[in-house]
Amino acid sequence: MSSMLHLKLPGRSDAIRSFKAQGGKIAGVLPIHYPRALLRSFNLLPVEIWGPPRIDPVFGSAHLQPYICSIVRNALSFVQTNPFQTVDVLLVPHACDSLQGLGSILLDFVPPEQPVLPLYLPRGQGMNKASFLQKELETLYQKLKNITGYSPSQDEMMQKILYEEEADQKLASLHRQRRNLPLSDIEFYCLIRAREFLPAEKFSEIAQQILDQVRDEILSGIPIVISGILPEPMALLNEITQMGGMIAADDLACSGRRLYPPGRSQEPFLRMAESLLGAAPSWSWGSPIQDRLEHLMGLIQASEAKGVVFYNIKFCEPELFDLPSLREGLQAAAIPSTVVEVDINDPLSNQMLTRIEAFLEMIA
Amino acid sequence: MAEIRALGIDVGSTTAKMVAIDGWGNMIWHFLEQADPRVDEQVEWFLLSVQEANPELTYYPGKGVEGIPLVATGYGRKLVQQATRQVTEITCHARGMYREMGHGGTLVDIGGQDSKVIGIGPKGEVVDFSMNDKCAAGTGRFLEDTANRLGVPLVRLGEVTLSASEEVSISSTCTVFAESEVVSLIAHGVPLQPILKGLHRSLIKRIVAMIRSVSFISPLMLSGGVVRNPAIPVMLEDEMNEKVIVPKFPQLMGAYGAALIALELYEPKF
Repeated sequence: MSSMLHLKLPGRSDAIRSFKAQGGKIAGVLPIHYPRALLRSFNLLPVEIWGPPRIDPVFGSAHLQPYICSIVRNALSFVQTNPFQTVDVLLVPHACDSLQGLGSILLDFVPPEQPVLPLYLPRGQGMNKASFLQKELETLYQKLKNITGYSPSQDEMMQKILYEEEADQKLASLHRQRRNLPLSDIEFYCLIRAREFLPAEKFSEIAQQILDQVRDEILSGIPIVISGILPEPMALLNEITQMGGMIAADDLACSGRRLYPPGRSQEPFLRMAESLLGAAPSWSWGSPIQDRLEHLMGLIQASEAKGVVFYNIKFCEPELFDLPSLREGLQAAAIPSTVVEVDINDPLSNQMLTRIEAFLEMIA
Repeated sequence: MAEIRALGIDVGSTTAKMVAIDGWGNMIWHFLEQADPRVDEQVEWFLLSVQEANPELTYYPGKGVEGIPLVATGYGRKLVQQATRQVTEITCHARGMYREMGHGGTLVDIGGQDSKVIGIGPKGEVVDFSMNDKCAAGTGRFLEDTANRLGVPLVRLGEVTLSASEEVSISSTCTVFAESEVVSLIAHGVPLQPILKGLHRSLIKRIVAMIRSVSFISPLMLSGGVVRNPAIPVMLEDEMNEKVIVPKFPQLMGAYGAALIALELYEPKF
């Protein structure tokens, strides 16, 4: 298999340094959904904080219950570290109860030096989600204006929205063409996850270089769908490759659940809201299980996957709530699935890898 | 001895097993001993034993027996450098059990450090499986540790348990907490037998929960070293209300399955 190594994908620190050198500032953003374009309109580069993995979680543990997931625990610890000092503002979308709790802790109990901005996302049924989110984004605009002293115009916002929409479309194309790209799983997810910190225009440029390499040949390997929050530790991807598997599609919160279609409105706040709400169904939007199941089935069908690996972060309750119903639905459709559980601070366990390997042997 | 055509090795957490089969898949030789943490040395020793028992074979240290494929399974399978292929214990147990019993079913394998429930289809294929999590509860280690605490020799554990006319409830399924509970029961003067039966019940309930998590296929089959404890099949039958079938060599099913897979994939390594 040819490799993308010649592409020299920029690292997170490089991206931050480069953006700051051009006079920009950094917004640390917790998972999952948020308006990238709005932050960019204030010359803030969104850099996502999914944990991060492999940091000492002691500080977080001192302020959280033991049954809070390692993403939230690590995030609370991370705000005490030196790398966090490069962040100028912290955005906390209320994706789940634990992240909402984290927002409260950061605002009221152990505030970092940087301003902390919550973002409420619409959940549940029977409400005008777009209108709610539009108002939330307008509120966020006001807060960012107060912090930065800057008021981007509607035209400036629309320009940033178009950049982000282009990057989102490239991202969606990469996912659609996954099996025809000359990338291993680890390379693919390094590229995909660069969207977590690269400016949209830089990501689009790199994504296009990869899309130009689309070929007729289909990647070999037992195709599976992976569902969960994030593929950490990333070494998991190499292990799956060595076992003869390949991730043909994903329903990961950091990846496949964030393929935002372009908005339709010419009003920037509404357009950003429409785009965010166009993402795949998930518990973070309060989507019905049936919608999630149909989405998973669609992924399986389109990617010709032979089974689903639910790769859960320990104590991620929203994922666990949906899991039995999703597995039951898949079983009814004769689609095999398995569940493994990880903590982002732990190395890959032999037992967990054996489960995945046995699953691949079963569906091969 | 018939001609050896394939080998299987199961490097488990408690014991290591090697099985040799003939060209028809019949088990013609086996070897079992306590697992050594130096897996490479133990495998070397196993293969030398194969050669000693079969002087016509040629063993090349670090490589393997000439012309004889070897499949490795078990938690230490990746450390067997002489193996033609590594296959998980789920697939190997299913293959060995299917060949041994001649039918599918639900296989419960209770090993020293892990337990698994495998749904085996009518053609011997794995249709579903479940494994215990990162915890000793529901495994042989659970009984081993508590037997030690109670001063009962492991070989007498089942016999003493089955002699109990009463049973106490052990609420904890965690090995460490169960030990504390046992200490507390002893301090309250509860006799040994009811405690042991309660401990076994705790393990069996854990296993039954795993069985319920897969689609049950009749009959219920049992393998693994813990099967040597006679209380396990008896209490599992009682809890499941289902007859339990045990193969002649319950500890060897993984290694036997590995050897059968090696035979199917027969490719001389050099």
